[in-house]
Amino acid sequence: MAKRVAFTQLSSCWGCDQSLVDLHLGLLDVIPELEIVYWPAVVDYKLKDLENLSDQSIEFGFVEGSCRTKEDEHLLKVMRKKSQTLIAWGSCSCYGGVQGLGNQWSIDELMERKFKTADTVTNGRIPEENMPGFTDHVKANTEIVPFELRIPGCPPTPENTLEGLTALLQGKEYKLPNKTVCDECPKEREHKTITEFHRTHEGKIDPDRCLLDQGYLCLGFATISLCGAQCPKVNTPCKGCFGPPPGVIDHGAKIISALGSVVDMDAEELREHFPDTIGSFYFTDYASSYLSKITSRKNKEES
Amino acid sequence: MTDERTIRIEPVTRLEGHGELTIKLGKGGKVKDVQFNISSTRFFEKFLEGRLAEEVPRIAERICGICPVPHLLASVKAVEAAWDVNPPSAAEKVRRLFLNAKQLSSHGLHFFALAAPDFLAGPFADPSQRNVVNIIKSLPDVGKLALQVMEYGQDLVSAIGGKSIHPVTATPGGMLNPFSEEHRDNFLERMEDLKEWTTDTVELAKKVVDDYWDVIENFAVVPTYYLGMHYRGNYEIYDGRLRVMNPEGEIVENFPAKRYRKYYGEHVPDHSYATHIYYKPAGYPEGVWRANSLARINVADKMPTPLAQEALEELREKLGRPTHATFAYHWARVIEMIQAVEEMEKLLTDPEIVSTDVKLSDVEPKKGNGVGVVEAPRGTLLHHYWTDEKGIVTKTNLVVATNNNIGGIEKSLMKAAKQVFENKEHENLNLPDPMIK
Ligand code: SF4
Ligand code: SF4
Ligand code: SF4
Repeated sequence: MAKRVAFTQLSSCWGCDQSLVDLHLGLLDVIPELEIVYWPAVVDYKLKDLENLSDQSIEFGFVEGSCRTKEDEHLLKVMRKKSQTLIAWGSCSCYGGVQGLGNQWSIDELMERKFKTADTVTNGRIPEENMPGFTDHVKANTEIVPFELRIPGCPPTPENTLEGLTALLQGKEYKLPNKTVCDECPKEREHKTITEFHRTHEGKIDPDRCLLDQGYLCLGFATISLCGAQCPKVNTPCKGCFGPPPGVIDHGAKIISALGSVVDMDAEELREHFPDTIGSFYFTDYASSYLSKITSRKNKEES
Repeated sequence: MTDERTIRIEPVTRLEGHGELTIKLGKGGKVKDVQFNISSTRFFEKFLEGRLAEEVPRIAERICGICPVPHLLASVKAVEAAWDVNPPSAAEKVRRLFLNAKQLSSHGLHFFALAAPDFLAGPFADPSQRNVVNIIKSLPDVGKLALQVMEYGQDLVSAIGGKSIHPVTATPGGMLNPFSEEHRDNFLERMEDLKEWTTDTVELAKKVVDDYWDVIENFAVVPTYYLGMHYRGNYEIYDGRLRVMNPEGEIVENFPAKRYRKYYGEHVPDHSYATHIYYKPAGYPEGVWRANSLARINVADKMPTPLAQEALEELREKLGRPTHATFAYHWARVIEMIQAVEEMEKLLTDPEIVSTDVKLSDVEPKKGNGVGVVEAPRGTLLHHYWTDEKGIVTKTNLVVATNNNIGGIEKSLMKAAKQVFENKEHENLNLPDPMIK
């Protein structure tokens, strides 16, 4: 019998959703097994329809995106109530996502720039009529309500989502791999000691050698392996968008400590190479970091 | 006044974004107000500050998972403009292929998953029926066609960019990875199939256009300004000047993107987190413009490839230039799909497409500011960055494609709401029997 499934989007880019559609003809096999009870991108059911479902009546509830608005928080709580198994789908849901980078500022500063001082704005104001209002800062959804399953990735590959979904449909256990991107990368890492870093636009990358060995910041060594090393395979450094391996909470802290063992540089030199540690080391998971939590607390106390 | 009421549609479905619709009705069903409430935004404008500019494209493309390629390219072009960098010509060709591949898959998705359900199942069908899942179940041939068209486009994006969603290879100065001969051969081989599917899609779209002619010609026809890119009058999506057309169909502006601030106004409504972009000299709301397929088709004198040109002529014969018919967007999208396929074939057969000379090795950051513009499937997309001498972003301004359309969408909704609630025109529309029952 088809399983009752819901896909829902909090503040997000819809890439996780698109990634599911990217199963293409593979969708033809999956769709008959699903009874879709909510999926606004595709099906015309309304929020009221979701709210009116009886509790626990959704067997698998997928949540994409994170809570940037109060409406998102409401939707997340409704999804929790209505779902038996709730799945944190994608890096936004698991760690807060890129929008977590906004936690470096207070919500007032963010709104000010967007709605009042942007170069093209002609009548600055903060929209309020029929608007939900924003959350003070972004958090991982898993810190707001409990989840049964996490499928990280920005976005998870179609295969990642299919694998999770198939495990759920067959009642099997789904576990995240305890490996890093380096384990899946075809480039051989010689673990060279690095004395100088290059920025991505500098020089020419040798396609046959490990990017980190060449002095490009490739975060494969501290990032969970689920994506099949997509970026290094096309000569591009891994930026860590799938987040840390299981068990690691603070991705950037892990990166910094691991870097310590491969570079021959003092702290001052490192800081010069990486003037923006937050953007460089916490791409999609800054909201889950200790640093972000401290900043958010400070912003709150000040306001 | 007991018959005053407010209708809320929450959320607006089959939309890539978070939106609600509020319709306020007064006495006797008079439409007093229509609001398109976009209820989410994530503040990229601010949190891109302080980042290394070469890393910004990989962050900024997360603005949209349906259209990451245009964001990636507009962002990279903005950094290149700020740093005075001109990538090698082979890199530009690969980027064009990249952008057209995305245009194809996005239009496929839009036509089949977002729009076609209304036409194939009929606009008054039950919500459980009116969706692409049902199309796949009830019209498997159409479903398969849709999935194959999208697949070709997404596969090609992934071949160039490493991943189909949030691809990574474009960087200031070119592309980090050349397009391989192996990929070229593979996509050329599949080109015959793609052309066949495109012909089938065009046939289907033509049938829909004929069937729904009454709707196209009479429903939500709203004159606005239009914004779109061109290259010497030709339709263009990667690099060109911008044109503004007025509601009467005259080209009133023609400017290089870097001068956008003179022409772009950004109105912040009280009821939407997405701002309304408009033609500044005309003021708001008079200057509301639309971008997207219909706008591009309106502002371009001609299409650069033969079959697309033929299709454009057919549209112009029936609807004229400009056409303000909101439902003609679907037709314009089909013309652009043909254009994308023809352009892709041209690029795939160009020997330079597999050149390994795709990246400069002497790119230097500098203090400056730069504007990057491309045409995204949903319209003209603009990124503007300021960087310091180390190449760190100090300020940004982003005008995303969709915001060019929200003001126009609201106008169309107002018109449609009046037609429905005040005049009950939808009851007299000439509608065909739905293909899915
Ligand atoms: S995890 Fe990444 S792909 Fe998914 S919604 Fe968030 S930003 Fe988009
Ligand atoms: S290129 Fe990156 S992912 Fe591959 S082995 Fe080196 S560090 Fe690891
Ligand atoms: S290689 Fe790294 S940045 Fe690229 S998709 Fe995988 S985890 Fe994300």
